[in-house]
Amino acid sequence: MSEPGKPGDEGGPERLYTVSRGHAPQERRHRPVELVSLIVARAEPEPGTAPEAAAVLRMCQFPLSVAEVSAYLALPVSTVAVLLAGLLGEGRVEVRAPVPAAVLPDPELLLAVMHGLQNL
Amino acid sequence: MVFAGTSSGGGTSSGGGTSTGAGTSPGGRRPAATLVWVIPPAAMALCAALAVAVVPSGARATVAWCGVAATLAVALAAAEAMRRGRLITTLRTRLTAQETRFRQRLADQEAEIRRLTREVLPATVDRLRRGAMVHEAMKAVDYAPRLDPDFDAAHEQLLRWVLETVRTEEDLRDAGQRAFVNIARRVQAIVHQQALDMREMEDKHGADPDVFEDLLHLDHGNALIGRLADSISVLGGSRPGRQWQKEVPLFNVCRGAMSRILEYERVDLHSVADVAIVGPSVEPLIHALAELLDNATRYSPPKTRVHLTAIEVQSGIAIEIEDAGVGLSEGASRRTDSVLRQAATGFDLNDLGETPRLGLAVVGRLAVRYRFQISLRPSAYGGVRAVLVVPQDIICPTPAPGGAIARAAKLPPPKPIKRATPLPSPTRTGGTVAQGRPGPGPGPGPGPGFRQNGAGLPQRRRRMPMAAPPTRVDSAPPAVPGTPREAARRPVQPGIWLDAFTKGLNGEPIPPAPPAADAPDPRDCHPIPDGSGTPHTPYSPNPSNPSNKDE
Repeated sequence: MSEPGKPGDEGGPERLYTVSRGHAPQERRHRPVELVSLIVARAEPEPGTAPEAAAVLRMCQFPLSVAEVSAYLALPVSTVAVLLAGLLGEGRVEVRAPVPAAVLPDPELLLAVMHGLQNL
Repeated sequence: MVFAGTSSGGGTSSGGGTSTGAGTSPGGRRPAATLVWVIPPAAMALCAALAVAVVPSGARATVAWCGVAATLAVALAAAEAMRRGRLITTLRTRLTAQETRFRQRLADQEAEIRRLTREVLPATVDRLRRGAMVHEAMKAVDYAPRLDPDFDAAHEQLLRWVLETVRTEEDLRDAGQRAFVNIARRVQAIVHQQALDMREMEDKHGADPDVFEDLLHLDHGNALIGRLADSISVLGGSRPGRQWQKEVPLFNVCRGAMSRILEYERVDLHSVADVAIVGPSVEPLIHALAELLDNATRYSPPKTRVHLTAIEVQSGIAIEIEDAGVGLSEGASRRTDSVLRQAATGFDLNDLGETPRLGLAVVGRLAVRYRFQISLRPSAYGGVRAVLVVPQDIICPTPAPGGAIARAAKLPPPKPIKRATPLPSPTRTGGTVAQGRPGPGPGPGPGPGFRQNGAGLPQRRRRMPMAAPPTRVDSAPPAVPGTPREAARRPVQPGIWLDAFTKGLNGEPIPPAPPAADAPDPRDCHPIPDGSGTPHTPYSPNPSNPSNKDE
């Protein structure tokens, strides 16, 4: 409900378990999304979609990490993960692995690049 | 002399008779009755005269005296008898009159008592129940003096005593209800605080699924306690729960109702009209819906679903709750109707009985107070279809069509970069912007902007427009210049890229770099190999190996 320190924010009358519709227990075991996974929408929100799912679909036109989605929606990560798992099951979003920043490039690729440069 | 004595006796007695029982004694009978009493002394006098005449003259004087004495005695006796007769008559008349009077009085008193029980008491007690004080209620009673003052006074005293007793009882009942409400309020406050804390904890432990799960469980139990407290508060004649300042979308109201019942997972929330409920009516509506939903889930088989829809109708919004349960028998239907009706006329905690079924009574109360129309009818599925019609005047346009997100969520600001041509997903054909970004399309190889050379390296086609200077070798992770959007936004002149390329080769300083060079396209990443079924592409963004150098 409302957050202390934010008197203007009443929050909604619903509790979080209705937002995630109680699917958490069975979905949790194979949680397909990590905190840093990037989410891309693959569909437009349809009328009748729950507001949270619709918001995810709208804001993930651009890839956003799960953590960002959680922050923007002001919902806990677990709830967002359940939401995303549902959307993923329906094929309405796509999950991408985060950019592996520390992975060295494939040596073969480097070799091929070198050869290409030499051939110029 | 005799006649004067009798007449005087008769005169006095008749005088008393007329004074007490005038009009009741028949006037014609009195002379006859008087005359009857003249006969015995007259007969005595006659007999005495005859005896005087018959007896020898020597005894005549003696006989005459005896005759006179006897006649006098008879006359006196007759006079006395006559007086007593008159007295009896008078008394009888008086008695009759008195009896009539008493009868009349009794009838009057009976009528008065009947009026007291049938009219005065119910009206006054009713007035008292509606909050009037005793003296006010007494004042309203019609006090026209009907009978003797004693009776009226006693009557008034009785009335006052009854009213005071009733008042005391009412006060006691009110106090009981207030105590109920008071306790319920305290429970509500604790539950509310608990809910706030729980929400904070949920945010705090959101990343730990196990703790989060348990928190949700506790949160659910807390919400159930809150609903019970709300029910008691409503039955005690107070408001349910908290007040809402702003309007709340109907979708959230429905979901709020769902979050307060035990088996919320069984409720399917279907289409909900895009309206909002004004603040003061939010909580009652949530509570009424929660009670109806609870009823629906409780009295239907555990595997069945309960459908919740809200559609606009002429008189407002009709919220339908349909279950596939046991349905309503004739008797049960009548009972629910009577419970709802009884709630309309007022409610007593005593009526709840030993195993209280609070739900319908609470719904009935709320319906009366907030003018919801409620009907419970057999459903086409065999279960019950409850319809709650929300009146038009508590509906307002919704600020968040489709429902608001739990807490005031801030969506990301719209991205400054817009696609020139909308890229249909998931097949993302390159067009003018095929840069080396093989989209997550279904094609097995790189996008159409590529061909592969002998070394298996994706090779850029010639004459593709190029957006950014090539030598941005800072270590920004995927420093791939020129996103598709960039290229689309900023058309590049042909040949410039070559210029930039040669400059880069010669080590010349580059003119200010377009900002796109260090703004990596966030789409620049791999699909997870097993994540979404899109094929893995051989292209790998590499900070130290910008693809522009391929040529």
